[in-house]
Amino acid sequence: MDNREAKFILNAYRPGGQDANDPRFAEALEQVRRDPILQRWFDESVAFDAAMTEKLFATSVPSDLRESILTGVKITRAPHWKNRLRKWAIAAAVVLSATLGVLIWHNARPAPVAGWQLQALDAILSSIARNESHFDLISSNPADLVKWLRENSAPTGKKLPNNLDKLPSIGCKTFFWHGKPVSLICFTLPEGRAIHLVMTTVSTDSDRAIKDQAKVIQEGHWATATWREGDMIYMLALDGSRDELRSYLL
Amino acid sequence: MTEADFEQLVDRQYRPLYRFALSLSKSEADAADLTQQTFFLWASKGDQLRDRSKAKSWLFTTLYREFLGRLRHEGRFPKIELDDVREEEVSISPNVNAFDSTTVLQALHAVEEPFRVPLTLFYLEQFSYQEIADVMGVPIGTVMSRLSRGKAQLRERLFSKEEVLGNKVIALQSDRREESHG
Repeated sequence: MDNREAKFILNAYRPGGQDANDPRFAEALEQVRRDPILQRWFDESVAFDAAMTEKLFATSVPSDLRESILTGVKITRAPHWKNRLRKWAIAAAVVLSATLGVLIWHNARPAPVAGWQLQALDAILSSIARNESHFDLISSNPADLVKWLRENSAPTGKKLPNNLDKLPSIGCKTFFWHGKPVSLICFTLPEGRAIHLVMTTVSTDSDRAIKDQAKVIQEGHWATATWREGDMIYMLALDGSRDELRSYLL
Repeated sequence: MTEADFEQLVDRQYRPLYRFALSLSKSEADAADLTQQTFFLWASKGDQLRDRSKAKSWLFTTLYREFLGRLRHEGRFPKIELDDVREEEVSISPNVNAFDSTTVLQALHAVEEPFRVPLTLFYLEQFSYQEIADVMGVPIGTVMSRLSRGKAQLRERLFSKEEVLGNKVIALQSDRREESHG
């Protein structure tokens, strides 16, 4: 190997010494050890490269670039982790509705309780899952969703059940079910699970029959709670235990 | 990948990615845009990368391809006759410590694009020749050639700046005497 060839190879030698044991550099490094003129060239080359690295690292970066990146990703699209979670939450809710729809009707007899809310939830979530409709607003901040629902005259309670407003949300949806306006807010739970809140206004005698104390039902791995507060009817549903569901009703 | 993981990745890589983008585009606005676009692409496609240790290479490769795509779109794809580039060897290096980072960056910007890319990856991120080859999609021999020529152009640009600044420059010496010892 002559010095020209050694220099050709050693120009790729990183100044931090990471390549010291790379066999591709071994012969050239041996040449450096044998030839004092090549050694001098190599020492200067490494020093030059180290100085260049130091100078270029000092190049300033726009102070707002980090926030622009993070905010831009959030606004432009729901990142894939949230897309997966949202689709899972929708799919889970659809299964929930299909599973419990008949049960609620059974439990509701002779006074049907929240049966139509589950049918409505089933219908709208199925529609979202098939991409026939979408969440009206996507936000991880429940306050944003509640504000939007109020501004759009959708059924919204005075406040969310206590522990729900501490959870990050997924999105909200408003729709009509047989002429009745209905609001839906989906929230995320730890470990990628979801909990769903359906709200509507009292309009029929059967609505008025719903009590202000939550009726909690467990069927398989699903739990739901239905209650009335003044003119609002709430239904809360999650894949979990009744005890867990109750912790969100406090 | 969770939102927290994404944020950590941004924190680790947004500065070096921006500096790489700046060396390519020579415009702060374009560099910021390229950097943001790269992270948008990661947010939508990064989950497809099975080996998370390759995230850095993925980001730099993606940013480079975005840059090339924009050049093609704008019809500004550089046509450099690589064989025509005069290779100049100097036995004394310019005094880099005499310059501020802006001047050094200007000298780097003056290096032609095919050589500037591997140089930037080599200096900014201490990429190995193999990693540079992976980002650029060229053989490692090409990387070594472009690093050699790129460094020669860079030294030449910095020597020019030394002259402008009034620092006396030690005359260029050929390597013929060194060759006889090789």
